[in-house]
Amino acid sequence: MTSLLNSIDTGHEDMIHDAEVDYYGLRLATCSSDHSVKVYDIKNGAHNLIDDLKGHFGPVWQIAWSHPMFGNLLASCSYDRKVIIWKETQGKWSKYYEYANHDSSVNSVQFAPAEFGLILACGSSDGSISILTYQSETNNWDAKKIQNAHTIGCNAVSWCPAITPEPAFDSNHVGPMQKRLVSGGCDNLVKIWKEEDDKWVEEKKLEVHSDWVRDVAWAPSVGLSRHTVASCSQDRRVVIWTSEDCQSWSSNILQTFDDVVWNVSWSLNGNILAVSGGDNKISLWKQNLDGAWKCISDVTKGQATNNEQRAL
Amino acid sequence: MSTISVLQEGPVNALALNKDNSQVAIGGRNVFKVYSIEEDCFKEICNLRASKHLNLSFSCNDVAWSSTDDNYLATAATNGHVCVWNLTKSGKAMQEQVYQEHKRTVNKVNFHSSEPYRLISGSQDGTMRYFDMRCKAAVATFLSNTESVRDVQFSPHMPHTFAAVSENGSVQLWDVRRTEKCIQQFTAHSGPIFACDWHPEATWLATASRDKTIKVWDLTTSKPTLDYTIHTIASIGHVKWRPQRKYHIASCALVVDCSINIWDIRRPFIPFAAFNEHKDIASGVAWRGDSQVFLSTSRDCSLIQHSFKDASRPASKANIQALDISTKGNTLFGMRVPVSTNTTKPTGLMRKSSTSTISDQFHQSASVLHQFTHVSVCNDLSSFEFLAKNYILYGRSFPEMCEHNAAVAKECGKSNISTIWKIVNTMYGELYVKIQAMHNNGGLNLMNNVDASSTEKKNNDVVGEAAAAQFSSADDDVEGEDQVDHTAVANGYHTYNKYGHPKGDFSFGENELDLELDALSIDYRNGMRNQNQLQQQEDWTLPNEAFNIRHEIRDRSPPPEQFPNNNSPDFNDDSHSSTVDEQPTWLVSVSKIPPMPIWDPSASLIESLKHHAEKGDVQTSVSVLIVLGEHRKNLKTLDENTVTHWLMGYIQTLERFRLWNVKALVIELAWIPSISQMNQQSTRINTNCSQCLKPLQRSGWLCDRCHSTDASRCSICHQVVKGLYVWCQGCSHGGHLMHMQEWFSKNKQCPTGCGHLCEYR
Repeated sequence: MTSLLNSIDTGHEDMIHDAEVDYYGLRLATCSSDHSVKVYDIKNGAHNLIDDLKGHFGPVWQIAWSHPMFGNLLASCSYDRKVIIWKETQGKWSKYYEYANHDSSVNSVQFAPAEFGLILACGSSDGSISILTYQSETNNWDAKKIQNAHTIGCNAVSWCPAITPEPAFDSNHVGPMQKRLVSGGCDNLVKIWKEEDDKWVEEKKLEVHSDWVRDVAWAPSVGLSRHTVASCSQDRRVVIWTSEDCQSWSSNILQTFDDVVWNVSWSLNGNILAVSGGDNKISLWKQNLDGAWKCISDVTKGQATNNEQRAL
Repeated sequence: MSTISVLQEGPVNALALNKDNSQVAIGGRNVFKVYSIEEDCFKEICNLRASKHLNLSFSCNDVAWSSTDDNYLATAATNGHVCVWNLTKSGKAMQEQVYQEHKRTVNKVNFHSSEPYRLISGSQDGTMRYFDMRCKAAVATFLSNTESVRDVQFSPHMPHTFAAVSENGSVQLWDVRRTEKCIQQFTAHSGPIFACDWHPEATWLATASRDKTIKVWDLTTSKPTLDYTIHTIASIGHVKWRPQRKYHIASCALVVDCSINIWDIRRPFIPFAAFNEHKDIASGVAWRGDSQVFLSTSRDCSLIQHSFKDASRPASKANIQALDISTKGNTLFGMRVPVSTNTTKPTGLMRKSSTSTISDQFHQSASVLHQFTHVSVCNDLSSFEFLAKNYILYGRSFPEMCEHNAAVAKECGKSNISTIWKIVNTMYGELYVKIQAMHNNGGLNLMNNVDASSTEKKNNDVVGEAAAAQFSSADDDVEGEDQVDHTAVANGYHTYNKYGHPKGDFSFGENELDLELDALSIDYRNGMRNQNQLQQQEDWTLPNEAFNIRHEIRDRSPPPEQFPNNNSPDFNDDSHSSTVDEQPTWLVSVSKIPPMPIWDPSASLIESLKHHAEKGDVQTSVSVLIVLGEHRKNLKTLDENTVTHWLMGYIQTLERFRLWNVKALVIELAWIPSISQMNQQSTRINTNCSQCLKPLQRSGWLCDRCHSTDASRCSICHQVVKGLYVWCQGCSHGGHLMHMQEWFSKNKQCPTGCGHLCEYR
């Protein structure tokens, strides 16, 4: 079912921490411990390096593409406590904005759905989440910070899609769409945040995980009548959270894996969930008619060497 | 040994351990103490600032402990003094020597490792001085020819050699016996070097700089070679090699980063370990003789003993994998792979131990990025694109569109979607319309002129096909029961009872119910007919027949609901049909029959559309709704929010696939105002001056730059048009709306005489 299409020679000198394909699937960006971010053109399945973005002074943990209506923007976050937004103008990438207001490693960046404007959320090991909003009038970025979002640190952030099960644009409900995001952290919690009167408040605290939450992903809800969030943790579990109203959430443990689960990622339609774990396995999951999640594919490639934790 | 700490009155600049690592001396502007290191605490032995005779020479930039005599300390004072302290004495006498030779602050003092009484100092004044504690003055002075010397360190390998680093980025090696010229000099960094440290065993010298790098130099040859470079996040103030770990070095930053990082020089990007106990910049590091414990001082006024077991491991917190599903459905997966640095081939005798020590693996870090493809996921996405491009959503008759779309869906293997189209066609196409018509005409039978034999043939064909399809999905155990049912049920049909056929359930998704709709729709029809004892046959799906009738009835209101749904056969419940003993249908032609009751398939259709949307396939739901056109009115229970949500979802997905034309079409065909408005958004016309091509910004008729109004003159009256300006997009001539209207009521050509046959729409 699943087959290896190709391997991409990134030329990174150290571990790759994130790889993201842009909105149209035309470009790939990768980031690595070697402080660099690389951008590739995808043409007929081949990946050609366009640029090697240097500007970080530490390992780059995560990258995020903006919606193309804002131009070609790429955000990256690093161990050096900085978030850099890169912009492509006439084929050349350059630093567009740098945000240095975190006191520790920044672990996660994610652009908000385009409907909300050009907004970036950043989760840091200092426990806070920053929400950077581009103000076109002043050509500036306005930063709001959720302090102490997660004690010890925030590992992942993900935005609620703008096209939600209850569209806000019916006649009875005129006003701005509700901005929401989900975050996961070292306090083993998954938290739902919403913007209320210009401030970000905690809407819900989801407790199931018994160890650090490594990744969270809010499913694109194309056609679905409810919100779905996937979270994965060092406790080796993946949890699927569902809610009709973002108030009451029910949890459903997808599976307990053999190793730490590092990533969860939804397909375009939100009907397939990809999970990757420390055992270097990726599996694809799909919900069947009874609502149960079924593994439709399982790939193992090599053995992980994640035992350095005990090294002295 | 555990992590312990003690707080001081002021910031601490430096620390030094005694010979056997049992005591530590710390110094700062207001701090100068000696502690003994106990099991779980620091015990103050001596406070050298307790003296009444405090002066600036008590203010320490650096402190050093004699490596030969435990009673001697040396300090580098901010006022340029180098002081030697005798711990066996007390009071003023402790300050055994005060060398007032440097003109500016002294940055560093360092005892010779083997020769007693000897120490060296490096100062901001650019000089280094070599002292013998028994002499009142320096025994040698070295001029660095740089502005300031930040660090001096005796080499552990060459007894007379010391290294000095300067703010101009240069490293000098001196022989203490030769004051006139350094042995070696090289530029190591582009910025000031703040510290250096000799490797205890290897001939490496590590240098730390404001340029955020730590560099490791091999000094075995006359030309130094740069072996390793570590990139850190901030300027580095101090470095110290870790004992017993050849490749490890500790560093602390001058700004930004309060943690003490331990690096493996072979992996220069991420610290091997980090210690985050300090709340301000760390000012000094000293290893306690073994690799597991070190002490540090900080501007946060604390002295901390760190134990390696409490270290945090930044690399272990890092996500070791990258995962993304692309628009095309491919899965990108970056993962860590073990790198073998062992290039020599293992011989038969020396079998390489499979369990190399864990710390050996830290530096071996690389990832590979694979792209996987998953057949069903990719198929889903590629067929999405195919369907979006090939569906016909307008401009043809309803049955034609349904037929076409069903064929398109079938072509890319989506038989379940194809089925939906056929069902929709059946339910809302000709039959539905006719039933409506019939009902409205008070039971007039319009359909008795049927060519029975041809229908029979066709029927057999489709059923045969259905049966084949049925067999192809033999793994579908859900159907087992139904088949049994059907065999019993359909005994009136000689063609059916051979195989039976599946239940008309709309749940095609997961089970990939691979049945042909022709069979299904016949089943439905039969169900209806059975119910009504209507015994006739007709090829309901013949599209060209439906054409006229459809248009006649197109604007009729939905059928009255005098026949509630529960009285009519439900798709999910075909047991209705089983109760009726069926007669062969093609034999009978009835001239007068009772009106067919109107069965409203809307509920089932809504169910079906919702089901597809739930599965993430809004494409089907939206496309069916669009093609349904006026029939949408019947779907009363489908609320607008849901439909809007589907439409938005479909439009967004089309955007992802860059199917702009389809997107625009869907928006145009959307019947919900909030969606169809999308096509009217963000269309802007920019006007430029026809003379200088500069955009007209302030007003539409006067150019700011060349003050020309030519662009906005009416071609008829030659006046400037300040209100509505109409123009032909072909020749770009125009003018006052009134004038142009008048002109074109009589003429066809452009009023300017350019010869263009202007078109105004």
